Amino acid sequence: MVAVATIRTDESLKRFFYASLIFHIALAIVVAISTYFSPGGESWGAPGGSVTVGLVGSEPAIPLPEPDVVSPSRVVDESKGLYKSEPQPKPQVEPDATPIPKFEKNKPPKYISRPSKVLENPTPPPPNAVPYGGGGTPSVPVTSFAMGTTGATAAGLIVGGASGGDFASRFGAYVTAVQQRISREWLESTVDPSLMYAPRVRVTFDIMRDGSIRNIQLIQSSNNRSLDNSAIRAVQSSSPLLALPAAYSGSSVSVEFYFDFRR
Amino acid sequence: MSRIDAIFARCFIAVAIALLFAAGPMKAQDWFKTGTGLGITKARVAVPDTVARSSFTQPLPKTFHDVLWSDLDYSGILDLVSPSFYPLQAPGQPSELNAQAWAAAPAEAYMIAYGNMTLDGPNISFAGYLSDVHNPASPPAIQKIYRGAATDSDARRLAHQFADDIIAFLSGGQPGIAQTKIAYVSARSGNKEIWIMDYDGANQQQATHLKSIALTPRWSPDASRIAFTCYVPLRTVTSAQICMYSAVSNRLIAFPRFRGTNSSPAWSPDGSQLAFMSSQNGDPEIYVSDANGAKLHRITFAAGVSTSPTWNPKTGKQMVFVSDRGGSPVLYLSDSDGSNVQKLDLPDMGYVIDPSWSPNGQLLAFSWRRPSGNYDIYVMDIVSRQLIELTKDEARNERPSWAPDGRHIIFESTRTGTRQIWSMLADGSQPHQLTFEGQNESPNWSPK
Repeated sequence: MVAVATIRTDESLKRFFYASLIFHIALAIVVAISTYFSPGGESWGAPGGSVTVGLVGSEPAIPLPEPDVVSPSRVVDESKGLYKSEPQPKPQVEPDATPIPKFEKNKPPKYISRPSKVLENPTPPPPNAVPYGGGGTPSVPVTSFAMGTTGATAAGLIVGGASGGDFASRFGAYVTAVQQRISREWLESTVDPSLMYAPRVRVTFDIMRDGSIRNIQLIQSSNNRSLDNSAIRAVQSSSPLLALPAAYSGSSVSVEFYFDFRR
Repeated sequence: MSRIDAIFARCFIAVAIALLFAAGPMKAQDWFKTGTGLGITKARVAVPDTVARSSFTQPLPKTFHDVLWSDLDYSGILDLVSPSFYPLQAPGQPSELNAQAWAAAPAEAYMIAYGNMTLDGPNISFAGYLSDVHNPASPPAIQKIYRGAATDSDARRLAHQFADDIIAFLSGGQPGIAQTKIAYVSARSGNKEIWIMDYDGANQQQATHLKSIALTPRWSPDASRIAFTCYVPLRTVTSAQICMYSAVSNRLIAFPRFRGTNSSPAWSPDGSQLAFMSSQNGDPEIYVSDANGAKLHRITFAAGVSTSPTWNPKTGKQMVFVSDRGGSPVLYLSDSDGSNVQKLDLPDMGYVIDPSWSPNGQLLAFSWRRPSGNYDIYVMDIVSRQLIELTKDEARNERPSWAPDGRHIIFESTRTGTRQIWSMLADGSQPHQLTFEGQNESPNWSPK
């Protein structure tokens, strides 16, 4: 009984083997024929279609494609802004096992959280809002104390309106000249074009005897980095200013200069 | 963590306050406070007639006053009070100044520029004052004595000096341009030669006498030399070459001769290098050499013509030039070694030539012939690529060149029918014609 079974198995295997052999041969023939007749296979590597490679004679002979001109966006402003951007969602990790809650201790919450009026402002931020995060301390005019100018925080002063000592009243023309110069060096094109209005920027600096400008400090930021930078640049490019008046005996004068931006 | 920060912050503030008190009274530093919005008002200045303290045979005080008036009027930063509003008495010195009369209506001046002129043999001296009429007690902002010969040209020179002092003061230390010069090409003597004149068109003098063709003068940054394109014959072959003229010794200086056509020189801002177009190796390309012509090297490599280089005068790191590599001549911006070439795209087609970079490096003036029309002067803000058209529908306006104060532009225009030199404020206002005789072109403003 065992023998009969073996013979039967042999016969069936042989039949399948031959069938498979014939199929493979047929497949090989089909592949060979299709390769022979396939287009493009013939001309590959033929002399007519070859690529000639020579030494580089001069650089500009290679017709390189023009590089894409990527102009850096001047709108991007990494300074800290007034509006909080949405925090990154933390990846939720499924706990392997959760303790069975006890019914006795599961009380209803005492406090139902309402949307905060401060953080979740219903009005969407304006398009020129600076995203939250990244530098920019609250603008406390610390340096104005350090300069001994306690009156510097008084607001709304006009040309020569406030001063320590009698500099502005004695040399009003000099003050106006300084104001004219820095105003002319302040270029609108250096400010973020989408900015229409910004809080006042305050910059302090010292004018030396020869008119050079030292110790430029931003004491009040507008919360817009491009505007802050344009104000500082206006002061920097005004150096050297006019030399201090000959009738003035001091070696330097401190200036607090404000910039009001409104397009 | 935030709690620790808060503790640190409190400690810091406490220490700072303690230090502040410990330091006691600070040094009594003088200080003032001022500021600006975006717009600025021009200072209102009165310029009464110059008081003559002697009897003059020539009208020198009047010349002085007229030149001073036009200098201040054309500075672009002042608003001159009309003479019909002036009080009758013109002051000659601070003791004669009735400040209240000038500060009150209708004059309503903010400053007054005045003075007196005396004749002392062959010389004149002018005592000039600039006073703040709202602070009559304060000393004059300027009180200075200017001396010169009793000639018309010296009276003009003194007026220019006084005007520059006033403008330097009222602009807060930016020097005026009343003493600058213009180099230009004039054909009035029969050949195109280099001429030099004052910035207001006075004192026109011929500089070169090559009796061939001289073109594209360019002042060196110290205003001591002028590089230009000249056609000089050598063994019966005449070709365009770079020539060098000394404005100090008023003669030509040697500059090497190169093969092919060489033209349109430009100075680097430190005056140590010269960029120019040369076809010495076939294609007209831009080459850079030292100021004496040595160490020549090529910086552009593109099929087609590359010419009219101009350096960024502020940094010296960038260059703008004209090239027709893309078809028609347009401007290309590159680093000063020729790398990073990029086309300065404009919103329209046409020919764009004659780039001139403003002294602060932020604006580029050029002439542009759009498909519909004449050549007109445009100014581009390099960073934002914003365009301002300064001339419009007034014949051909070409070859702008910036004044060193960045507030004026000189150019050539055919709006009167002949090609003449004009200047204007950099916003396109107050055009002044400076030359009237013959054909004049290709002006270049001296840097000082």
